[in-house]
Amino acid sequence: MNSFVPPEIDWAALSPILIVLGAAVVGVLIEAFVAGKVRRTVQVLLSVLALGAALVTVAWRWTVVQSQGATSLVAGAVVEDAPALLTQGIVLICAFVGLLVIAERSGGEDAFAPTAAAVPGSAYETQARRMGLVQTEAYPLVLFSVGGMLIFPAATDLLTLFIALEVLSLPLYLLSGLARRRRLLSQEASLKYFLLGAFSSAFFLMGVALLYGYSGSVHLTEVATAVPQMTGMDGVLLAGVILVIIGLLFKVGAVPFHSWIPDVYHGAPTPITGFMAACTKIAAFAALVRFVYVVAPGLSWDLSPALWIIAILTMLVGTVVGIVQTNIKRMLAYSSVAHAGFVLLGVVAWTSSGISSVWVYLLVYGLATVGAFGLVSLVRERDAEGNVTAEAGHLSQWAGLGRRHPVVAVCFTVFLLSFAGIPLTAGFIGKYVVFAAAIEGGAWPLVLVAVAASAAAAFFYVRVIVLMFFTEPAEDALGARATVVRTEGLSVVAVAVCAIGTVLLGVLPGPLLDLAADATKFLL
Amino acid sequence: MTVTNLAWVLIAAPMFGAAVLLLAGKRSNAWGHWLGVLASAVSAVLAIGILVELLGLPAGDRASQLSLYSWIPAGDFSVDVGLLIDPLSVTFALLITFVGTLIHIYAVAYMAQDAARRRFFAYLNLFVASMLVLVLADSYALLFLGWEGVGLASYLLIGFWNHRTDYAVAANKAFFMNRVGDMGMLVAMMLMFASVGSVDFETVFAAAPGTNEGVLTATGLMLLLGACGKSAQFPLQAWLGDAMAGPTPVSALIHAATMVTAGVYLVVRSGPIFEGAPTAQLVVVIVGAITLLFGAIVGCAKDDLKKALAASTMSQIGYMMLAAGLGPIGYAFAIFHLITHGFFKAGLFLGAGSVMHGMNDEIDMRGFGNLSKYMKITWITFAAGWLAILGIPPFSGYWSKDKIIEAAFVGEGWQPWVFGLAAMVGAGITAFYMSRLFFMTFHGKARWNDGKNDLPGVEQHPHESPALMTVPMIVLAIGSVALGGVLMIGDGFTTWLEPVTGVAEHHEPVLPAPVIIIATLVLVLLGAFLAWRQYAAAEVPITPPAGSWLTRAARADLYQDATNETLVGRPGEHLTRVLTYTDTAVVDGAVGGLGSGAVGWGERWRRLQNGFVRSYASLMLVGVVLALVVVLATRV
Amino acid sequence: MSLINYLVLSGILFSIGAVAVLVRRNALVAFMGVELMLNAANLTLVTFARMHGDLHGQVLAFFVMVVAAAEVVIGLAIIVSIFRTRGSASLDDVNLLKN
Repeated sequence: MNSFVPPEIDWAALSPILIVLGAAVVGVLIEAFVAGKVRRTVQVLLSVLALGAALVTVAWRWTVVQSQGATSLVAGAVVEDAPALLTQGIVLICAFVGLLVIAERSGGEDAFAPTAAAVPGSAYETQARRMGLVQTEAYPLVLFSVGGMLIFPAATDLLTLFIALEVLSLPLYLLSGLARRRRLLSQEASLKYFLLGAFSSAFFLMGVALLYGYSGSVHLTEVATAVPQMTGMDGVLLAGVILVIIGLLFKVGAVPFHSWIPDVYHGAPTPITGFMAACTKIAAFAALVRFVYVVAPGLSWDLSPALWIIAILTMLVGTVVGIVQTNIKRMLAYSSVAHAGFVLLGVVAWTSSGISSVWVYLLVYGLATVGAFGLVSLVRERDAEGNVTAEAGHLSQWAGLGRRHPVVAVCFTVFLLSFAGIPLTAGFIGKYVVFAAAIEGGAWPLVLVAVAASAAAAFFYVRVIVLMFFTEPAEDALGARATVVRTEGLSVVAVAVCAIGTVLLGVLPGPLLDLAADATKFLL
Repeated sequence: MTVTNLAWVLIAAPMFGAAVLLLAGKRSNAWGHWLGVLASAVSAVLAIGILVELLGLPAGDRASQLSLYSWIPAGDFSVDVGLLIDPLSVTFALLITFVGTLIHIYAVAYMAQDAARRRFFAYLNLFVASMLVLVLADSYALLFLGWEGVGLASYLLIGFWNHRTDYAVAANKAFFMNRVGDMGMLVAMMLMFASVGSVDFETVFAAAPGTNEGVLTATGLMLLLGACGKSAQFPLQAWLGDAMAGPTPVSALIHAATMVTAGVYLVVRSGPIFEGAPTAQLVVVIVGAITLLFGAIVGCAKDDLKKALAASTMSQIGYMMLAAGLGPIGYAFAIFHLITHGFFKAGLFLGAGSVMHGMNDEIDMRGFGNLSKYMKITWITFAAGWLAILGIPPFSGYWSKDKIIEAAFVGEGWQPWVFGLAAMVGAGITAFYMSRLFFMTFHGKARWNDGKNDLPGVEQHPHESPALMTVPMIVLAIGSVALGGVLMIGDGFTTWLEPVTGVAEHHEPVLPAPVIIIATLVLVLLGAFLAWRQYAAAEVPITPPAGSWLTRAARADLYQDATNETLVGRPGEHLTRVLTYTDTAVVDGAVGGLGSGAVGWGERWRRLQNGFVRSYASLMLVGVVLALVVVLATRV
Repeated sequence: MSLINYLVLSGILFSIGAVAVLVRRNALVAFMGVELMLNAANLTLVTFARMHGDLHGQVLAFFVMVVAAAEVVIGLAIIVSIFRTRGSASLDDVNLLKN
């Protein structure tokens, strides 16, 4: 009888993940034991501290890995290598600013329903609102999601990948349903996200099962070593690989798996949308890049046609349907679909410059996204009595904002220009490196489509800029003048950080490009 | 940490000043102008510091490159920003900042009545910053950035009083003609990039000897086109006269001392390119010669004080271009004349501004006369500039201009005779019209209404200008007197520039040097005498007389506007009509078609998003099936 | 008994589950379809584990069951909140977000 040998666990290396998940568990306990009046403050402090500490820890582990090399942790389930740490750092940066926007209490109230269990429009809901209840469970949920997002890029085991996928998604399904205003839309978004998410997880799991069947293991390295030995089971292999990729593409929002994005981004509370749009994409792309470059390099000939078609469709659909949108959150949702298409160019480049370009684009996109949605959450409608109500969704309500609130309009312009890829903003650097990598990888038809799509996308970005600065607001009911609500300061900090980051990375991209170039070797 | 490492502050200080003044708005109206002066002064002090440091180094070490930063460090295609600190760029930097600061101080008093004074200083600072970028750049790309910046500043400053339509039109005219020149610069840069693969000075100049002469000639001619636009040389000279619509400090700084000399800087800096293309060099000399005569002839007939000075500027830059086109023997003299011209022309313009200030903004010289009695300091400083531009020894203009005339007489065949004689005759005509200008303004009988005589017009009370205006004029006058002599001691200036211009072998001119000097002096004195006889000793008519056909032609700027209109304007209009039609019909049609196509497809595909989650799921399933089919069917 | 039969069965179950999501209007039944797909994957895992002769697949199946249970919790909470708001759990009634 062999004695059980417990695995070696390098706790220090796991510290970023443990800090965030630990804080999430503590957060749940706070929900149970801390008094109602101080609960929100305690939760916000805890979350901010946890994310900050995790970011510092990631930076520390980066220096360790640079000097001592990458290591595999927890018996091969999770790895600590440069790409994983860089992606975790990017997720934490975007999650940090996203959390500041989530914690914002604009106009005296936060973005979440006082109690999500109440039926919209019922007496219970009004009573809860009057009692000043606050749904502070949102913070531990966010932390759990971030924990999942930290594991996702570092997972080298298909099972860990699946579990991380679920850990990051399940809280998001809930968080999408917690909006304070327009609760029907929010609940609908939550249901759609959940159903479609579960649907795609099932495909992902089937893919995992097929890969296990083909190679006899769920560890990425062992699957990768089994790939060249195509002995007539290659149908199983290819089907498994493409199903896993599809599961990841769903999270990223590639066509034709993008249908949830417009509806969910539209219905979810705007701070959550910003957080989701940035961080899930970052984590999912990181996992996709790891999977594709570790397992699938030998299959590039087989997978390229499908991936090329998906990339082209994503860019086209995101741009073309974005042009005809009239709601600002939906427009930004379609634009994020288009951006996913651009990042896919880096993925299908099959070169190491492709890998580094993906990291650069993700950080650039993440900052601009959190900032943009942070601003959208501050621009509100006014009802007949002059009270500030829900967000001003319709584009026409944004007309003339530049004159009344120039700072907000200028910051939003910076983010829009970054999305459009105008030089001197970080978006230009991101697009440049991705296109350069794609050309290096021989995917120049994709770059042609990408450039055309960028030019077309610039239309709907610039349309908003023109609306804000050069159009007079109409005085009818729909164009009821949008106003910027008073904030407590957290959103201001977040938007400022994002705006400064966007401009700074556009003017001095050197350090980021060097950092990304260091993070292209995956530990097998 | 050497002072040279701080060279970026030269540009940053006025840039910062411009930004603050533009952003701070009306709040800074009280102190804005002083900030502008301070920013310029900081650059001047720093430039002197760099000069002192460079003088302390041995001649071979004086060029250093200061790399500022790399914008996109992406392998082969990297965009770097850097400065080149060498004798040529430092000389220009000194001229720009020193004369610039003096003019800033002058403008404080000159623009005292103007409510938009703060904005004026913001634009002035913007100009100084851009001009410094131009002369300190280490690559044609960065030089072009400064090039465009000074063009923008010039447009903003010429049209500063744009509530007067003719001023705004003048600004547009300057802008358009500059654009033609800029096209030349761009084509030259494209040629460089195509043949050498880079636009920074080091790479291009190192590759120049090995490049095809045709390519070098084309590049040189395109650079010349750019230089002509910026320096108002033939055939792009028509904008300079109209540019006098701007306030006088602008005319002094931009259109006399600095911006218009940017073209000469470009030609001298691009020496290695021109040396490989003798045809292009010859064209440069021809352009210089034509312009110097053109400007001189036009200057003889102008009654507007500033326009006459503008014609004189055009002509003097023609001298510089001529010298620059002669090759290494001429480079140092071109720059030398540029420096001395910067001082005396700026002084002359500031004096003109002082006269205008004292005469109620009157600008027609036919309404002046006998002002020496009322404006002593202006008279003396103006006289210093006048003697300098005539080239009377020992004033500075003598040292620089004579060297150019001598160098023009060097060579073989018809060239030295044609160019040398043109330069000499030009000197004589210069003496005539500049003396005419001087005597009409300051001597002779007063032609203005002083309340006692019954001459027509507004009553004038000419008075001397305040100290803030006269002190800069005095400093510039001292420069006009002494600078030339000082710089020529021991051939100091030519040796200083040698690391950049190369050592010039001394050739003998076809006429012996003393003959040239004496002949030039005789022509100059003759011209001055003729002017004295006609405009100081005799009665000057208040209404301009009909004059000969040449006078009428010169008054109409030798029909330059009519020529431009026929040769360029009307065909240009036809071309624009054709292009606009093509644009609306073809290009807009295509773009519009793409746009409506995109919108059409958008509307169609948007209906896929019908709100039913089951249809989303079916779309996903279809996607999965298709992906499986594509992957499994295209198995290798 | 060939193990391929189990794989075929799991494929059939997977398809039935997928079709159930597409065809059934009730949210709970659609979710049951998703659960069916997950269980089909479980069956595949266990079959392959038997084929390869190791236990990894069975361990994976355990993990998947746990995750599926967690998913059920979340899913039912969402569906119940929709039901209480609208009085019906029909997927076709939730179509406010479109285009």
